[in-house]
Amino acid sequence: MKNAAVARYQNHFQSPSPRAIALFLAAVMFIAICALPAISMFGVSLTGPDGGLSIDNYRRLLTERRQHQLLLNSVLLGAGASIFATMIGAPLGLLLARVHLRGKAWRRLALVVPLITPPYVLALAWTWMAGSFAYSLTGAIVVLGVSFYPLAMLAAEAAARRVDAGLEEAALLVAAPRRVFAKITLPLIAPAVAAAALVIFALAISEFGVPGLLRVNVFTTEVFTAFAALYDFGAATALSLPLLVATMMAAIAARLLIGEQMLTGRRGSRVGLSLNFGGWQAASVALSLAVIALCVVLPVGVIAREAGGIRLIASSIKESSDAIINSFALAGAGATLAVALAVFIGYWRARMRTRWGALVDLALIALFAVPGTVTGIGLIGLWNHADWRGEIYASPLIIVIAYVSRFAPVAALLLAASVRQIPVAFEEAAVIAGASWLRTFGRIVLPQMFAGISAAWVISFIFAIGEIGATALVAPPGESTLPVRVYTLVANTPASNLAALALAQVIIVFLPLALLALFVRRSEGAK
Amino acid sequence: MIRGKKHTVAVFGLLLAAFALAACGGQPNTANNSTGATNQVTVYVSTDRVFSEPILRAYEQKTGVKVNAVYDTEETKSTGLANKLLAEKNNPQADVFWSNEPVRTLVLKSRGVLAPYQSANAEGIPAIFRDSENYWTGFSARIRVIVYNTKLVKPEEAPKSIYDLADPKWKDQIAIADPRFGSTSFHVAALYAELGDEKADEFFRRLKANGVKIVPGNSVVRDLVVKGEVKMGLTDTDDVNVALEDKQPVAMALPDRDGMGAPLMPNMVSLIAGAPHAEAGKRMIDYLLSAEVERALAQSEAVQIPLRAGVEGPQNIPPVNSFKPMTLDYGKAASRVEEVVKRLQPILGL
Repeated sequence: MKNAAVARYQNHFQSPSPRAIALFLAAVMFIAICALPAISMFGVSLTGPDGGLSIDNYRRLLTERRQHQLLLNSVLLGAGASIFATMIGAPLGLLLARVHLRGKAWRRLALVVPLITPPYVLALAWTWMAGSFAYSLTGAIVVLGVSFYPLAMLAAEAAARRVDAGLEEAALLVAAPRRVFAKITLPLIAPAVAAAALVIFALAISEFGVPGLLRVNVFTTEVFTAFAALYDFGAATALSLPLLVATMMAAIAARLLIGEQMLTGRRGSRVGLSLNFGGWQAASVALSLAVIALCVVLPVGVIAREAGGIRLIASSIKESSDAIINSFALAGAGATLAVALAVFIGYWRARMRTRWGALVDLALIALFAVPGTVTGIGLIGLWNHADWRGEIYASPLIIVIAYVSRFAPVAALLLAASVRQIPVAFEEAAVIAGASWLRTFGRIVLPQMFAGISAAWVISFIFAIGEIGATALVAPPGESTLPVRVYTLVANTPASNLAALALAQVIIVFLPLALLALFVRRSEGAK
Repeated sequence: MIRGKKHTVAVFGLLLAAFALAACGGQPNTANNSTGATNQVTVYVSTDRVFSEPILRAYEQKTGVKVNAVYDTEETKSTGLANKLLAEKNNPQADVFWSNEPVRTLVLKSRGVLAPYQSANAEGIPAIFRDSENYWTGFSARIRVIVYNTKLVKPEEAPKSIYDLADPKWKDQIAIADPRFGSTSFHVAALYAELGDEKADEFFRRLKANGVKIVPGNSVVRDLVVKGEVKMGLTDTDDVNVALEDKQPVAMALPDRDGMGAPLMPNMVSLIAGAPHAEAGKRMIDYLLSAEVERALAQSEAVQIPLRAGVEGPQNIPPVNSFKPMTLDYGKAASRVEEVVKRLQPILGL
């Protein structure tokens, strides 16, 4: 009896099964939508003017001194922003998880605002506040650090909640709380914080709007110039290679530092050690208020002042209603499809038993760092043909595909982490009990991934609703998304109208997310 | 497990809602898919949407032809339509490209994206604004001008030539937009064509030594001058007009009246090679080259100068016969812009 069950279990994972078919289909779709645009552009970059194979675009990367300076700037910007964001975000996340604070939900919501504000808009606010100081590498580091600290905060909070309370309780029997916190709690949340820092690094070095506005020469601005001033697709793609390499190097460094634990954790059923000793409570109130004041109220206030009041903001929302509806629909569909695909890719990655898994992680993080413009041009080449692909290209579906292409890789990374927390034993038990894989996946794995899926969806949605690089290129005729509308209007529009539109964008993204967050909290509290 | 089930239901509910939203939200855009229909035309427009949209709407109302427009995004912040047209070359989606300056049109011509078309309405437009091979036709123009703050600079000391911008008298008081993009890229290409490489290089070296501020766009140049953060800068007539309408303390000087003249920067319209609705595209080009459109663009806040005689010019802008337009071979000047950009980057430290 037992042997039969084991045989069925082994068989289940060996012969072509529903599991293998589902994962294979997901992998094919993932490669077609997410990887092919970048791969095809790589092909373009290896093509010389005569159509033959040529490495001229890459030879320039190694030989020109200009490129060395760009590399230094890009890496400094990425590392600086990542460190700065982690320094602000990680302590906040820890406090949100472990200190009793009043109005914690509201505090968290307010602290997330910079993440949903397009970095370009934040940069604009800082140029109005800080003047010429903003126009420097340091200025760009500060702006991007402020833009992305909520990621570090959310990661640290989630990790601190997941720490197995039993470990801390056991340590408390023999050590003082401070020591337990330093020796047990911090090391357990470090991997999640490091993973968030890596994502912030990738985001910061692939960001164009901020260094573009603050006139810091980095690879993204150089890629932009190659497209916008020189119309040279091959050179532009070659120039984005250093971004991918730098991101992969950062990923390898992170892995060496924290080992296989990366992106893993264990779900604890109880909330662990509370930080209610000493002046922690007062300190955390002060810290959260200071960050809210400096990173949220101040910049948003400056934008609101430039926007010239509620009336102008309300009227710009009204005039943009079509674009707003499109933005929500397309970003919603994009985030949903990206997550749907990423669920399978993440599961596949998490359950991989080979050493090649690390390479998959690297590929995912590299895909995430591909500049939006490169993806956009690649998508046009792949989808604009006089057949069924052309039908899709001429419809808003192509924007959804662009969102999936850009954000499914990062969603897959997040969801792989989420799957790793689900013990394989659960699936094995279900299979041994006779459940099919689809049933096991639907009834056991997916429900346990709920928190991860929600987080991946919200993050993909936020990225998608602010996406401009690829959207502007692939958008078909007709009103498209809000960022595209903002960018088609800015040329001669006074700064005040731009600020009003920017604030409108912040508000329309923030409100539904706030409602969603409060709704989820309430439904959790009710249990 | 009950808890998990509830969540799964919630997740799938969310998915369904998103798809439903996508289905209804996406619909308004899908009407223009069917290629080959004759009662529609697709126009890619780089002239500011606020100015070009009314012109295209008017055509729609007049003829009943549906106009599918894609407007360009701000050129210093995103890579726009020229790249889209280049990438779509194998299966063109657009019928007409309406550009607000010559550089991108000439790049597209050299890459084989455009097709020749000689419009009957091009008759009244002077020959220098028309391509001898009919790949493009110019209409309504802007001028590259010096804008200065009238509180900080008296009219009699206002610069008369762009060479004055390199005068140490104005050190650290000059702003220009990034010369790699947009209408400023046309301006520098025109200067290189007019002066030759050596003299143009020399001018920009002196400008750099004079502490020129390089900012993201022509409207930013105007804003800095309005606020008095710099005393003067180079920008486009329509940008200055926004400040004049707003009663701000600025004025424009048309440079080099006694020398090489000020560069006139026409809109350019072209037919796309392999256009899906080529005939409708030609009718659209005829319309854009009509006196009616030149008049509308002159009277709107775009304040564009009509190129054909007999159409009344805009307020706030001097008439064509009151200044000296730079005599340019537009094709030749704009065709070198990529090379000029590469020369300028090290000179201006971009």
